[in-house]
Amino acid sequence: MDKLLDTVLQMLEGSQITLEIFCITLVLALPLGMLVALGRLSPVRPLSRLLELYIWLMRGTPLMLQLLFVYFALPMVGVRLPDIAAALLAFTLNYAAYFAEIFRAGISAVPKGQYEAAKTLGMSYPLTMRRVIFPQVFRMVLPPVSNETINLVKDTSLVYILAMNDLLRVARTIVQREFDMTPFLIAAVFYLVMTAVLTWGFKKLEAHYGKY
Amino acid sequence: MANTESELMLRMHGIKKSFGENEVLKGIDLTVARGEVLAIIGPSGSGKSTLLRCINRLEEIDGGSIEIEGEFLAVTDEEGHAAYAGAKKCRELLSRMGMVFQQFNLFPHMTVLENLLEAPIHVKGLAREEVLPVARELLNKVGLTGKEKAYPSELSGGQQQRVAIARALAMKPDIMLFDEPTSALDPELTGEVLKTMKELAAERMTMVVVTHEMAFAREAASHVIFMEGGHIVEQGAPESFFSNPKEGRTRAFLQNML
Repeated sequence: MDKLLDTVLQMLEGSQITLEIFCITLVLALPLGMLVALGRLSPVRPLSRLLELYIWLMRGTPLMLQLLFVYFALPMVGVRLPDIAAALLAFTLNYAAYFAEIFRAGISAVPKGQYEAAKTLGMSYPLTMRRVIFPQVFRMVLPPVSNETINLVKDTSLVYILAMNDLLRVARTIVQREFDMTPFLIAAVFYLVMTAVLTWGFKKLEAHYGKY
Repeated sequence: MANTESELMLRMHGIKKSFGENEVLKGIDLTVARGEVLAIIGPSGSGKSTLLRCINRLEEIDGGSIEIEGEFLAVTDEEGHAAYAGAKKCRELLSRMGMVFQQFNLFPHMTVLENLLEAPIHVKGLAREEVLPVARELLNKVGLTGKEKAYPSELSGGQQQRVAIARALAMKPDIMLFDEPTSALDPELTGEVLKTMKELAAERMTMVVVTHEMAFAREAASHVIFMEGGHIVEQGAPESFFSNPKEGRTRAFLQNML
């Protein structure tokens, strides 16, 4: 019993890294994704094309490869980042690309008439975006953003290859040391709890914004 | 009285507009005096909606001039290019016009009341308490008292369009533009919207209405323009226009509409 408690405590510690990467990535990638989406939709062609290239690179290569690149290849050209910063850089750049495409679809789905109505009421572009467009986009993108967010919880386990002691790596270390599979089960439960909380949270948000 | 009667609210001269190779407006002239209701009719593709959208710069003209209450919104320079007034002047002139769309274009995430309050508060910077009585009065005027807290999706098309009219009026415009306001409505719902518009006309609101409702044009308009192929084919006071059209194309069109 004591051994089990000890295992759980170690794994809770591992969860901290997992949650840290999850939360910081989300906080950085969501606004970055929105900026990228606006840039993609901008009439400035070079900007739009450049961002298209960025999205293609990020979605077209494995996140694992991107992590390895930031962690091992960047130091070769003199860019040395602390472990956690390297992981966060790769995660943020990758997830911002996915969020950008979700936001772009959401912004494009708002009818042109909404912009026109706002314009005839004298609303400026920033005011129109803030008061009229974004609230509608927000509601439309909730389900796909919820999907990506849940993916992110599980993708954090990739930092395992960077020798960071996240939830999965702690579990595997214990399994290898003790020849006991329980930590894997506990890890599964931990992940499930995290995604359950997220699912519940997004459901609440959807209910709140779905009232119209 | 005679003076205000003749006060020119809108004057368009030589308006030209092309989409790519397609010239949709081929030199349109029109004037609207204060309190006048101008009805623009014509087959689809005749350029009537484009003309209306040029008035408040939803479309930019290629040539010609637009005057709002004696001030230039756009003029054509020596090289024949239309040039708009400065950003500030444009904003000021455009703020004197309200518009009602075929598809209503209410803000779906806001309640009826919020739709009405949005621009007066966030564009004009008025206090909520200041706008609230105005908004309630407008809702009463369009017959929607009690619907303040409803979302647009909970209303019928006719009710939504009346909210859209109230929303435009909340900005206290001098000119109201209507772009086929009843075309997206079921026939049994057009009446309530037309009634609201007739009441506005009776209050001497200056209106420009693109419409397929001949009965409305006949009853409420002070002047009718028939457009086809980017030209004004015929125009006149509704009585003579409808009972005694001079042009063959006008007669053919009116016959089709009945």
